[in-house]
Amino acid sequence: MEGSTNSALTAFTTIFRRDIKLALRHRSELINPLAFFVIVVSLFPLGLSTDSRTLLQIAPAVLWISALLATMLSLESIFRSDYDDGSLEQLVLSEHPLSVIVLGKVAAHWCTTGLLLTLISPALAISLAFPPQNLGVLIWTLLLGTPTLSLIGSIGVALTVGLRRGGILLALLILPLYIPILIFGASAVDMSIDDLDVAGQLYLLAALLALSLTLAPFATSAALRVTLE
Amino acid sequence: MSPTQRQRLMVVVILVLGIGIAATLTLLAFQKNLLYFVTPTQIKSGELPQQRQFRVGGIVVEGTLQREGVKVQFDLTDTANSVTVVYSGILPDLFREGQGIVANGKLTDGGVFEASEVLAKHDENYMPPEVSEALETAKNLPQKFKGHPK
Amino acid sequence: MRIFQFFHRFASPREFFRIAGAMIPWFAAVTLVLLSVGLYLGLFVAPPDYQQGESYRIIFIHVPSAWMSLFVYMVMASAAAIGLIWRIKLAHVIAMSSAPIGASFTFLALVTGSLWGKPMWGAWWVWDARLTSELILLFLYLGVMALYAAFEERRTAQRAAGILAIVGVINVPIIHYSVMWWNTLHQGPTVTKFDAPSIHLSMLIPLLIMSVAFTLFYATVLLMRARWEVLEQEQRSKWVDEYLEQT
Repeated sequence: MEGSTNSALTAFTTIFRRDIKLALRHRSELINPLAFFVIVVSLFPLGLSTDSRTLLQIAPAVLWISALLATMLSLESIFRSDYDDGSLEQLVLSEHPLSVIVLGKVAAHWCTTGLLLTLISPALAISLAFPPQNLGVLIWTLLLGTPTLSLIGSIGVALTVGLRRGGILLALLILPLYIPILIFGASAVDMSIDDLDVAGQLYLLAALLALSLTLAPFATSAALRVTLE
Repeated sequence: MSPTQRQRLMVVVILVLGIGIAATLTLLAFQKNLLYFVTPTQIKSGELPQQRQFRVGGIVVEGTLQREGVKVQFDLTDTANSVTVVYSGILPDLFREGQGIVANGKLTDGGVFEASEVLAKHDENYMPPEVSEALETAKNLPQKFKGHPK
Repeated sequence: MRIFQFFHRFASPREFFRIAGAMIPWFAAVTLVLLSVGLYLGLFVAPPDYQQGESYRIIFIHVPSAWMSLFVYMVMASAAAIGLIWRIKLAHVIAMSSAPIGASFTFLALVTGSLWGKPMWGAWWVWDARLTSELILLFLYLGVMALYAAFEERRTAQRAAGILAIVGVINVPIIHYSVMWWNTLHQGPTVTKFDAPSIHLSMLIPLLIMSVAFTLFYATVLLMRARWEVLEQEQRSKWVDEYLEQT
C-alpha cells in the first residue's frame, strides 16, 4: 500500500511542478484569463449604470459569472498543448494511474487560473460598490467553487480535445454542469450583503468540491482513453 | 495482494471517503438556512437593508385584501408578524386569502413592501370541488403556509 | 440460463433488427389505444379541480412528459454504462437513440409547464428549482447529442457521449430531490410520495394510463430509431445486404 501511494504522490507532484513551470514560461496564458475577468467585470458599469445601488444589486452575479467564463475559456490549456505535441498520449500510456496525473494537471490549472482570479476578485468587488466587510464570503465561495469548475471542466476538455473546433461545444457540455456551483456561489455572496447566514451555501459548495474531487479524475481519465485511441 | 488489487482497493477507499465527506457536508448544509425568501418577522426585526430587492413569503391574512382598480393591498403573515404588501397588476388565479404566496420587491420607507411581482404557491392536492367541500366541513381544513420541509 | 441466451441473441445486431421489427407494430397499437383512453378519461371524464378548475387538465400531458424526461435519461445513462463496461454495441445504440427522444419529452414538459404556469402562478416562467433543473436537463440532452454528432468515427462518438451522459446523471437526483431542498413555488411531489397519493382516484387513473402510454410511445420510437441506427452501423455486413435486397 505504502509503495503505490508514494509513487502516485511522486507522479502527482512531478506533473504539478511541470505544468506550473510551463504556465510560468507562457506568461500570456497566465495573464489572459485575469485580463478577461477584469474587462468583463468592468463592462457592466459601462453598459448599465455607475449608480452604486444598481451595481451592488448585480455585483454577486457579475463577479461569479465572469469568474466562471474566465475559467471556462482557460480550460483548453489543461490538455491542448500536450495533445498537440503528443505528450498526452505518453502520459496516458505511462505506468502511473492516469487519474493521479489528471489530478496533478487540474491542480496546476487551478493554481494558475482559479486561485489568481480569487486573489484579484476583492479589487473588482470594491469597484462594484461591494461592502468591504463582506469580502470574506466572496473569497470563500470562489476558493471553494473555482477548483470544482476546473475539475468538471477537465472532463469536458478531455472529451473535446481531439476535435478541431471544440470551443463552443465545450461551453455547451460544461456550462449546464456549472449551474449548481453558480447558484450556490452567487446566492451566498448575495445573501452576505444582507448579512444573512451563508454557512449552508458554503457547506454545499464544499460538498460539490469533495464530490468532483473524487469522481472527476476518473471520468476525465476515461474520457481521455476514449478520445485518444 | 497483487499491485492491481491494491490499486482497486485504493480506488474504492477514495470513492467511499470522498462521497462520505460530500454527504456529510450536504447534511450539515441542510441544518442551515437555505431559503431564498425572507419572512415578515425578519423584516420587522430590521435585519434587512431598505432599497434592495428581495423576496418575502407568507400567508395572505384573511379579510385584509383591498382592491382599487389594478392596485391591490394585503397583509402577509408568518403567524408571528405581518407586513403590508402593495402591488399593481394582475394577481395569479391561485391568489386568495389564507393562501401562501411569495412577493418580489422592495421595502419602502414606511415599512410597506412594494411588490413588483406576486407569485402563488399552489399546494400539491388535486381533488374535485365536492371532495374539497366535504373535507372543509369535516374539519376546517387547516391552510397553513407550507414552509421549508424538515 | 435461458434468459441469458435470449439476451445474448437479442444483443446481436441482426437478431435485434428482426425482433424489434416484429415488436414495433404491437407496441404502436397499444400506445395508440392507451393514449386515446387516457386522453378521453383525462379531458372528459375526470372532474375539474377544487382550486384550479379546468386548467389543471394539462397535468395529463405535463406530468407524464416530465417523468419520461427523467426516465429516458436514466435509461440512456444506464445503457451507456453497460456499453462502456461490457463493450456491448447494442447498448450504445440504445443510449444514443434515446437522447433525441428524451430531449423531446423534456421540451414538451417545459412548454406545457410554461402554459400551465401562466394562469396558476401568474408568470410564463419562474426560476424555481424544478423548472430550472428541467431546463438544465434539456441542456444535458443537447450536449450529449452535440458531442455524439461532433465525432466522425461512430465508436468514439458513442463512447464519448456515453461518458458525458453518465457524468450528467449526477444531475438527475438533484432534479428529483430539489423540490425538497429548496422551498420553491413549485408544488411538492404529488404521486411519488410514499404515503397515499394526494390526488383523487378519478384523476390518478387517467394520469397513470397516460404515463404508461408515454412509456410505450418511447419504447416504440426507441425501437424504430435503434433499428435504423443498427442498419447504418452494420451496413458492411452480409445480412444488411440481404435485407436490403429483399425490400
